Amino acid sequence: MGWEKEVDELRERQRLAQQMGGPERVERQHAGGKLTVRERVDQLLDPGSFIEVGSIAGKSRYDEAGNLESLTPASLVIGRGKIDGRNVVVAGDDFTIRGGTNEGSIRDKLTRVETMARDLRLPLVRLVDGSGGGGSAGMMDKDGHSRVPGYLGWDLVVANLNTVPVVGMALGSTAGLGSARVCASHYSVMVKDTSQLFVAGPPVVNRLSAKQYEKNELGGSQIHTRNGAIDDEAESEADAFARARRFLSYLPPSVHELPPRVPCDDPAGRNVDWLIEAIPREDRKVYKMRPIVEAVVDTGSFFEIGRFWGRGVITGFARLDGWPVAVMASDPMHYGGAWTADASRKVARFTQLAQLFHLPIVHLVDIPGFLVGLDAEQTATIRYGVAALTAIQQTKVPWCSVIVRKAYGVAAAGHSNQSRYSVRYCWPSMRAGSLPLEGGIEAAFRAEIAASPDPQAKIAELRERLQRLGSPLRTVEAFAYDEMIDPRETRALLCEFATLVAPMREAGPSTFGYFPL
Amino acid sequence: MSALKICTEVAGTVWKIVAAPGATLAAGQEILIMESMKMEIPVEAPRAGRLVELRVAEGDVLKEGDVVALMD
Repeated sequence: MGWEKEVDELRERQRLAQQMGGPERVERQHAGGKLTVRERVDQLLDPGSFIEVGSIAGKSRYDEAGNLESLTPASLVIGRGKIDGRNVVVAGDDFTIRGGTNEGSIRDKLTRVETMARDLRLPLVRLVDGSGGGGSAGMMDKDGHSRVPGYLGWDLVVANLNTVPVVGMALGSTAGLGSARVCASHYSVMVKDTSQLFVAGPPVVNRLSAKQYEKNELGGSQIHTRNGAIDDEAESEADAFARARRFLSYLPPSVHELPPRVPCDDPAGRNVDWLIEAIPREDRKVYKMRPIVEAVVDTGSFFEIGRFWGRGVITGFARLDGWPVAVMASDPMHYGGAWTADASRKVARFTQLAQLFHLPIVHLVDIPGFLVGLDAEQTATIRYGVAALTAIQQTKVPWCSVIVRKAYGVAAAGHSNQSRYSVRYCWPSMRAGSLPLEGGIEAAFRAEIAASPDPQAKIAELRERLQRLGSPLRTVEAFAYDEMIDPRETRALLCEFATLVAPMREAGPSTFGYFPL
Repeated sequence: MSALKICTEVAGTVWKIVAAPGATLAAGQEILIMESMKMEIPVEAPRAGRLVELRVAEGDVLKEGDVVALMD
């Protein structure tokens, strides 16, 4: 006789664990427009690829004869599987068991899965649906004493931020530790209407507030994808999983490897004819940057990250002749592309991400400077701007900047990394300087203007002279900038850049110095 | 479809009203143009629909996020 009986008992326990919190709670989960943790794992991963770890871990009850009476599985499902054929590690909260709380369950699973990702050097996806710490008052009653806050395994969470790509997904109401696990990531996403992120949810907040909040009002995606707490908003859980899969497709499994190139059937030398008229000749007219980005990268390869916050800068991943790259591009539709405090934070964070996973950076530049005015001062624009500029100078990944229009002031110093060789192009529409002519003339020629019998005529005369000097042809003639290009040939040159610098990418952990966030 | 609030994403001055109340707009069509950072920045219809009401006039000074119009 072999060990069939034990294997049968194992299968029975696995069957029980698969019931999660029972039919009634599963029904409630579905009624709330949410999938169960097991459905989520199945949808996220390649079909049939999930290998669970701790499949029967939970609280079991036995009768006096030693027969199993019941098994309540742990409220965290962990394991590994594949996304597009590449290994990943998954941790999913089961909201049908104790509301997905971690502390009340088997805490070792939480640390185990983080350790697994770190030591197997594999991307980690957290499917968060719960309140994290959970039931502290209940725990105190059980323990007979209070606890000093300290999240078991936070050291691992932090280690993973420096080692493997981490995706944090809010898939229900997440608060406290739950929301911290979402934000402690390189890419975070929440689902419109069915997920929320809170420091504390309405039950806590409404006791302290005259106004009574509904959960989406307090912590819905319309708040957190606009303030930068969460990168992106998904229309559905399926959409959220698709975003997670796509995000990971551009990245290496860990900092110890390089991002993979994929086959590309979009010709590297493809000219984009309409780019010759993409930038309006009239200074005051704006244009749309996203179609320009999409036109120069491999067709369909642009994956935008953080669409709704720091909107003066568009950030995302893309491919050039199959090579993954990080793309930053100014959005003139938002304050003319000026760097606000938020845009600066976004640049700093994105630059750090590109450096961590060895993605060369392509920057399409139209920066009229930092945002000016009282709002800009009150939001500490210069402080966050300096953080962004400092982060940029500390990157070691290759840079290519294309100044498509304006490059003015201190902010525009962030067009490329000036601490090392960067590939630098400009379009004929470039206008650059320390100050735009408007206002700049009055500041620089104050005495001359004041001494003139007709100050307005003097300003007009100065403007005309300086406008001629502002031609980018003069700038490149003086070799004050590397090269002016035909906008139509931008894609070909960017593809050449990506191929050129591919051997310069260096695997390994990244060290960033201080940047004054 | 419920009424849709159209907000300006930038602070600045309403420079030019482009669409009149009652107009049928395509997605991406300009409703008005803000002047901000010396640039003309359009506020566009996020989806197709009818412009029900304009809440601002040329010359108005607006904050980021102010409602400028309603669409149905």
